[in-house]
Amino acid sequence: MRHWLPGLVIAASIASPLHAQTPDATFFETKIRPVLATNCYGCHNSAMAAPKGNLVLDTREGLRSKLESGKPDESRLLKVLSFTDPVVQMPPKGKLADSILADFRQWIAAGAIDPRGAAPATAVASSASQYKGLSLDEGRKWWAFQPVATKPAPNVAAAHGPRNNKVDSFILAKLADRKLAPSPKADKRTLVTRAYADLVGYKPTFGEVQAFLADQKLDAYARLVDRLMASPQYGERWGRRWMDVVRYAEDNPTSEATNPPYPFAWRYRDWIVEAINADMPYDRFVKLQLAADLMPNTKRSDMRALGYLGAAPVYHHDLRLSGDVIGGFMTDDWDERIDAVSRGLLGVSISCARCHDHKFDPFSQKDYTALMGVFASTTRAERPMFAVDSKTEQSYMLLQRKLFDLSYSANLLVNETSTFTNPSEKSVKWKSVIDVLKAQANAALAKYPQLVATLELYWTPRARGGAAPPPPPAPVRLAAGAKPAPAAPPAAGRGGRGNASSTDPYMNAVFEAARDVDVSDLTYTFITYKPGETRDMPVFRAGNYASPGAIVPRGFPAVLAKGDTNFRQGSGRRELADRIFTDSKGLAARVIVNRVWAWHFGQGLVTTPSDFGTQGEKASHPELLDDLAARFIANRWSLKWLNREIMLSATYQQASRPRADGMVADQANALLWRQNPQRLDSEAYRDTLVRAAGILDLQVGGAPGDLDDSTYFRRAIYGRVSRARSSQMQTLFDFPAPTQTAPNRDVTTSTLQQVFLMNSEFVQNLSAAAVKTATAKVTSQPQQVVALYRQVLARNPTAAETEAALTYLQKGTLVRFAQILLSTNEEIFLP
Amino acid sequence: MSIRLSRRHMIESIGGGLGAVGLAGLWSDVFGAEPGAANLAHYAGPKLPAKAKHVIMLYLNGGPSQLDMFDPKPALFKYAGQRPNAVDLRTERTTGGLMPSPFEFKRYGRGGIEVSELLPQLASVIDEITVIRSMYTFNPTHTPGRAILHTGSVLATRPSIGSWVTYGLGTENQNLPSFVALGSAPPGGPQTRAGFLPAEFQGVGFGVADPDPERIIPNLRNKLIDPASQRIDMDALLALNQAQEKSFGHDQFLEGRIKSMETAYRMQFEALDLFDIRKEPQNIRDEYGPTAFGTGCLLARRLVEAGVRYVNVEYPGGQAWDDHSNLNNNLRKRCPDMDQAAAALIRDLKRRGKLDETIVVWGGEFGRTPVSESGSGRDHNPYGYTMFVAGGGFKGGMAYGATDEFGFKAEQNRVSVHDLHATLLGQLGMDHTKLTYRYAGRDFRLTDVHGEIVRDILA
Repeated sequence: MRHWLPGLVIAASIASPLHAQTPDATFFETKIRPVLATNCYGCHNSAMAAPKGNLVLDTREGLRSKLESGKPDESRLLKVLSFTDPVVQMPPKGKLADSILADFRQWIAAGAIDPRGAAPATAVASSASQYKGLSLDEGRKWWAFQPVATKPAPNVAAAHGPRNNKVDSFILAKLADRKLAPSPKADKRTLVTRAYADLVGYKPTFGEVQAFLADQKLDAYARLVDRLMASPQYGERWGRRWMDVVRYAEDNPTSEATNPPYPFAWRYRDWIVEAINADMPYDRFVKLQLAADLMPNTKRSDMRALGYLGAAPVYHHDLRLSGDVIGGFMTDDWDERIDAVSRGLLGVSISCARCHDHKFDPFSQKDYTALMGVFASTTRAERPMFAVDSKTEQSYMLLQRKLFDLSYSANLLVNETSTFTNPSEKSVKWKSVIDVLKAQANAALAKYPQLVATLELYWTPRARGGAAPPPPPAPVRLAAGAKPAPAAPPAAGRGGRGNASSTDPYMNAVFEAARDVDVSDLTYTFITYKPGETRDMPVFRAGNYASPGAIVPRGFPAVLAKGDTNFRQGSGRRELADRIFTDSKGLAARVIVNRVWAWHFGQGLVTTPSDFGTQGEKASHPELLDDLAARFIANRWSLKWLNREIMLSATYQQASRPRADGMVADQANALLWRQNPQRLDSEAYRDTLVRAAGILDLQVGGAPGDLDDSTYFRRAIYGRVSRARSSQMQTLFDFPAPTQTAPNRDVTTSTLQQVFLMNSEFVQNLSAAAVKTATAKVTSQPQQVVALYRQVLARNPTAAETEAALTYLQKGTLVRFAQILLSTNEEIFLP
Repeated sequence: MSIRLSRRHMIESIGGGLGAVGLAGLWSDVFGAEPGAANLAHYAGPKLPAKAKHVIMLYLNGGPSQLDMFDPKPALFKYAGQRPNAVDLRTERTTGGLMPSPFEFKRYGRGGIEVSELLPQLASVIDEITVIRSMYTFNPTHTPGRAILHTGSVLATRPSIGSWVTYGLGTENQNLPSFVALGSAPPGGPQTRAGFLPAEFQGVGFGVADPDPERIIPNLRNKLIDPASQRIDMDALLALNQAQEKSFGHDQFLEGRIKSMETAYRMQFEALDLFDIRKEPQNIRDEYGPTAFGTGCLLARRLVEAGVRYVNVEYPGGQAWDDHSNLNNNLRKRCPDMDQAAAALIRDLKRRGKLDETIVVWGGEFGRTPVSESGSGRDHNPYGYTMFVAGGGFKGGMAYGATDEFGFKAEQNRVSVHDLHATLLGQLGMDHTKLTYRYAGRDFRLTDVHGEIVRDILA
């Protein structure tokens, strides 16, 4: 849903990468400081008691002492760096690249502009040396990390434009500064179309448009917005938007033996839809996804939220590899979690600090490691949907993990005997462990035979075949109160992978258990699970698992923390969730408010919705963002309140037509002199097409289907989401890769999209259906044309259009004409 | 380091911008513009002298055995069945003693390069080939190894080299995807992944098990109506779209989609032609051989000639080269068609004057161990293996680097996957340290913080 002038957006973001610095300062920030930070600060920083050679390079004064500004040939610094100084050559690990030395030469020749403060970056903090970019203290002053407060509406002359609410005052003030007028209010047809597409994810029918046109009351539009937000389809639309942020999917990038698909991920999707429909406060919504199992009185149905972590992407852990390799894979998995949480929920990129301190933002490798411990103390497991006492559930989850690994290993013995030096010895040993676990399962889970049944496949020898145990088949029925889900549709032509969804009463979730590698057997690596225990991680030098340094306690990033950073309760997931909404409340609110704004306008107030750090864009309207964020919090983090506030603004309701003065002054529309015209995204386009054919199935929830099945007519949100292979419509229309949190949608136009509309069986099926739906009761050709226009484009044809259609029909057919209407720009476009 | 997409680039994106091929007339007709020379789309670093414009990667999925093809080790005979300390490197599975290769090696070409009897055809073009015997990589398992070969990393967010190349260089033909992957089924995953790069740089995978272009490209042809009828429909659609844009006002998306529709209509016929290797003369088809790999190689040449930047041709059959057992017989069966098609590609490109500007890369995600597995196979070996490059400004007729006495670990002039990537980008005119994309707060590179150009093999 990004603005579709990607070129302009990118160009704009490059033009001011570092908060409006002068070009010279930019040169320092991009070419010089990162080099100093990487290669020099370690031994030459002002926080050290005795910097090497008594030289500090993290302050302007320290650096200047060695420079000979303006005279590169006389610069001691350059000589030392060039390895031409007879006494000292730096850095010690080897000469820098020639291109870097050329940068230094150019910079010194140009006067060595150094925008840093004269004093040390932080005079006090001994921790300053942890930070290569902004210091901790500088970071604490960074705009995005400040608390939010409501702002007074700026004064703008009434004549400058309509003000429906406070949003408009901020927008009009900036437009007035640039002497630009807002665009007039869009016509009613456009407004109703926009409202449908935006709130429920498809365009309105002819009848729905007519009903709105006929509603002459002053509050017609407000009532339309309220009605759409109250419909179940609202949660599907806005849930799907959130699913981009949480990189929702139902399998893994490779889905091999140890990282098979997630059969119950769809329950997490359904939970999202239900929570959004219920307007669950955003803070609670997020907290449940991180820590539902640790929050008091969580309803079992809310445990589905843990799919955020329980169906997250993981890599294949081939246990034949060494402990270091397996451990490295684990850190890759945890890195993904850190990235998803930091960019998705906090709009900062902490995973940049995996190998070294963040070069620009105030996040240290220590901060990164403190978060890693949280995820190292959390383990994926399937939980039952039905009520089970806590002790039994813990046993069940632990047994699941252990048995899974053992069964995988035992299958390797069956299928790939050459893997092992002494298969029989291992076979006996592992089998005996499986037997022990079987006995444990029968004892610990005695009250719940259905749980035992799901584990049976792990101790029942399997025929030759893949090494992966299939997901539990649990032949049990749903517990009372759980909603029956429709059966998973049969596999269609997309191959077996990612097609393992199950309607058994389980969910993909997590529990509190530390994970580590067991390297006691030098020929085979096992994974240990320690329920209830935690694991603080060491800093890995240069991100290398085999090179651990100091242990870091689990905790919250220092620059965001109020007071002590450490987590103390279990893995710390709950504290992490809580502190996002206490310590970094302002940031969390700004980030989601900006995302919602971007989903309504196609472009955020901050155009880098997942990066509010120094490398992101600054807000086009910072006061508006802060004011909306503050009021969003005051309105109990209600997303529906926010949708309403934005959609009722005159800004949102503007027409989107191009205007010469606007295009000249602000082509990227950062000032919002018009609404942005948009292209429907992959899901909205598919749903709109199917609905235009009159056959959209509005059944809510359940196991996923196959979007490549040209007779699958449920909403696109219910199509399978695979990290390995996307459906054709997803691929063609810029569905984001669900391996990572997605900040926005690309908008591309390609010829393969068009041949899909021209030739695919799917669109041909829709065309036939549209004709059938529209012309059931009309016989004359002119009536059929009108009926088809109403059915597909939700309007009457003009006289000229009818005439053209009738001329066309002398050679073509009604079904082909329906396909033409479905393929129009009018259909895919949202003015 | 300004990045600015050309307007045309915005309108007609590459990712799937499949279209008319090598036909300047159609081009200018549709876009009112001249066919462009290679434009540097997003690469803003110093321009190295570009030797090549295209890459064809011949990917032998599974890990082909260097010891039986390009890296003869007499010591394996001497110590057959033994297990000296030097070979005690951990691999995926349990291995036994050293296993000699039964295949005879002879010296070929001006460089006297040893090639095994399994590869007579490649031996005949060895003067075009630079054999790198000292490759090493970082993971002994297929999936991560494959990801490293194609993306430089095991992480699922990293773009493949084809996406990087396309991102950096832009496209030569607006109507074609600039990055294509061919296999018996459409390749995906790290072989085509755009990762964090914009979706338009995604490689487009095509299955070439059947050489019929309608089987290769989905929805290429309308099965219900003939082209003349479809033209009537397209004219009706065009009229509606033009009227709609007139009423809304000028808009780049609307205009771009109108043009894209027209291109798509014509592309159907052009692509039918371009993707149809059956239109090649019979002697050329015979030269490549009647196999899926032969089809892939021949189609790769046609695509490169039409302006595609990067073509990845995967040897069919999944992890075909993963010979944990029965290696000798497997290689005898599998090598001939691979050898024939790969050599034909090099010869054909040379004849047509395209080899100088096209790099052919050959290899797998790792090699295989000199020690035996199951008595008749070899395990995965990331420590040392062979790949080759041909054309595109590489010296040819030389072997570079060496593994240890037994062919287990690269020792002399070691070349990592990152080094290979850096070198390939360099030959395409890009400094690998300057081809960057800002993602999640930092500038990412294909080579991350690694990579040295292997200068000794450059012409």
